[in-house]
Amino acid sequence: MLDPEMSELERTLLRRLRDRDERAFRELLDLHRDRVFNITYRMLGNRAEAEDVAQEVFITVFKTIDTFREESKFSTWLYRVAVNHCKNRIKYLARRHDRDRDELDETQHGGVGTNGAIGTQPRTAPDRALESAQTEKILEAAIASLEEEQRIVVVLRDVEDLSIEEICEITGLPDGTVKSRLHRARLVLRKKLQRELGHD
Amino acid sequence: MTEEDEIPDDVIATLSDYLDGTLPADERAAVDNKLATDELWKRAHTELMGTRGALSTLKKARAPATFDQDVTATIHKRSAGRFFAQKTFGDRVPFGAVLVVALLALAAIGIVLWSSQTGSLHGNKDAHEHQEHKLVQ
Repeated sequence: MLDPEMSELERTLLRRLRDRDERAFRELLDLHRDRVFNITYRMLGNRAEAEDVAQEVFITVFKTIDTFREESKFSTWLYRVAVNHCKNRIKYLARRHDRDRDELDETQHGGVGTNGAIGTQPRTAPDRALESAQTEKILEAAIASLEEEQRIVVVLRDVEDLSIEEICEITGLPDGTVKSRLHRARLVLRKKLQRELGHD
Repeated sequence: MTEEDEIPDDVIATLSDYLDGTLPADERAAVDNKLATDELWKRAHTELMGTRGALSTLKKARAPATFDQDVTATIHKRSAGRFFAQKTFGDRVPFGAVLVVALLALAAIGIVLWSSQTGSLHGNKDAHEHQEHKLVQ
């Protein structure tokens, strides 16, 4: 069944995209690129990787648009593609990280450790003028330190403000699993932020 | 054990659902009651609100200005122009229009030939008339 939430404008855009209309593709990019980029950035913690993956997301969408049956919102399908690409990239980066470590015998890489996220910048010395930027960095590092599966749900729920129902559709997980991952993620984040930001 | 660890996971889980608005009405009322009377629940609630609040204030990362161009350029590069309609030979040729033009051209040729005195569609009219004349004789 077609998703009733999809607007006629969106359907028209998708129809044009199926006809390989480049302008329709650009319109679609305009509408969704920042949100997709934000998801990939929060998932990967690195702008260059995020940009690369976001590009791949749109290329995949373009190549596989014929498989989208309009049974869900287009954005849901798009975010599913984005999440899957992020997961693949995280796996790839983790493998590369291990290989590099073996080859170079490096034991210390900056940032968030072993769960596949890209390292974040080392924190600078406290400076009032940079407090906001530092808070942002602490938050980014806290998100990046989460297990991949927890990070996905936190980014989608607490950063992107998607509903639990949408997250279930995007991840293909049951409601209970999404919620429990979200609980665990918030638990971890709460502790980290409490430690780093001194929340009471 | 630090103070922060005193909050049991199930309290966090319930509050997490509470904040997401996914608790049934009766459980929600029970949480409201806890929040009004229990300091631990109150603290956990404040902390979780703080965590969610902090996350929601994270600046939205914006795609680079050249993102659109980069994506479409990559598509063109990888597909040698096959993906976009106007870049493919088959779609660049307006077959419908070509067909209409061809039919019109054929019709025009047909009319010209038909109306022409020497047109082949008339056959050898003079010869035919001549033959008929001979037969009459």
